[in-house]
Amino acid sequence: MTTNDDMLDGAVPEPLDEASPSERAHARTFADIVDKAITGRAPAAMSADDRALLEVATVIRAANGQAELSAQRQRSIVEDALRQAVGDRNTTTSGSIGVIPLSSRRKVAPWAIAGASMLVAAAAMLALWLRAPGSEIVHREETAQVPTSWTSRPADPLVGPIAPEHAGEASERIDYLFADRLDGYRERRLSGRGGVQ
Amino acid sequence: MKSKSVIGVIIGVVLLSAGMFLAGRASVPADRAVTEVTRIKEPTDVIDESLMLALGQAKNFHRKAKVYLSDGKLDDAAAAVRQILSLAFPKGAPEADDVRLDARALLAKILISKGQVDEAMRVVDEGLASSQRESFFTANLYTVRGEIREVRANNLDAEDPSKTKSAPERRLAIEDYDKSIQINERLQKQLMEKR
Repeated sequence: MTTNDDMLDGAVPEPLDEASPSERAHARTFADIVDKAITGRAPAAMSADDRALLEVATVIRAANGQAELSAQRQRSIVEDALRQAVGDRNTTTSGSIGVIPLSSRRKVAPWAIAGASMLVAAAAMLALWLRAPGSEIVHREETAQVPTSWTSRPADPLVGPIAPEHAGEASERIDYLFADRLDGYRERRLSGRGGVQ
Repeated sequence: MKSKSVIGVIIGVVLLSAGMFLAGRASVPADRAVTEVTRIKEPTDVIDESLMLALGQAKNFHRKAKVYLSDGKLDDAAAAVRQILSLAFPKGAPEADDVRLDARALLAKILISKGQVDEAMRVVDEGLASSQRESFFTANLYTVRGEIREVRANNLDAEDPSKTKSAPERRLAIEDYDKSIQINERLQKQLMEKR
């Protein structure tokens, strides 16, 4: 059997073989590392083999249930988490475990949705109110029917044919025409119907 | 925190649904109650103040001319009658045409009295040219034009007793009288039919 310092790559010793001095020294060194890791003082630098063994040891320890925190430690962590949840920033985090805060996007999203929805609803209600069915007023204009005597019209029916001997009697005809139109004008103005029949 | 988010989302969804529902309803034209308001307006051809004012002024100018004529002041009478021709009547008023044609007939008569036969003919011709329609006043103006032609013919007779020169003028005078008669007949027939 050949001795090899590389424990992972070397030959595997027989179960009943006596441990070599180098193995004992290596075991003590590794035991120290494990002890320090358990108390949270793991050395920053170690060999790749030791790191791999340390991870395995940690997993085995956790699997055996020996990694539980003490009751006091658990309460401290829980209280710190609750304080952070209610916004108390003066809390001291207990160890490396803290409350992972929600991202700001996740905090704002529900309220943003609610706000946007309210805006949409308000806009819809406004549109409904503006377009609400009401009484539509249609304006129509009609021309009133008025008596002929109220209207401006040719004077022929009033004057009749003008005889040659009366050709120059325009003064008499204008008197007659004026009197007739004045009658119609007065009738319209004094009818009290605003000129509408 | 989680329950708040859920409530917010639920409220949002409810409001969004309500908004979409209402918007949908708003986009559908609903039955509207239609109220018709009819405004009765006066006809535009009623006798109004402006027509009465124009007629009143024409009446006064005629009265003035009559007084001048009774005093033998033919120039003043003619000037008074000429003012009637420039009176402003309401647009489209049939009385305007009638009053102006009648004034031209009187003016032509005054001018004939003054011996201004050609001027009288010009006044009558202008009136007939501007006439918008046939009327008893148009017919009267043709009658006056016939008279003017008779005066012209008589004046020609004084120059030429053989009446060779005056014959065409007399023929034209007869044509004018005929036109006057025809217009009068047509209008009388129309008036009778309307009754």
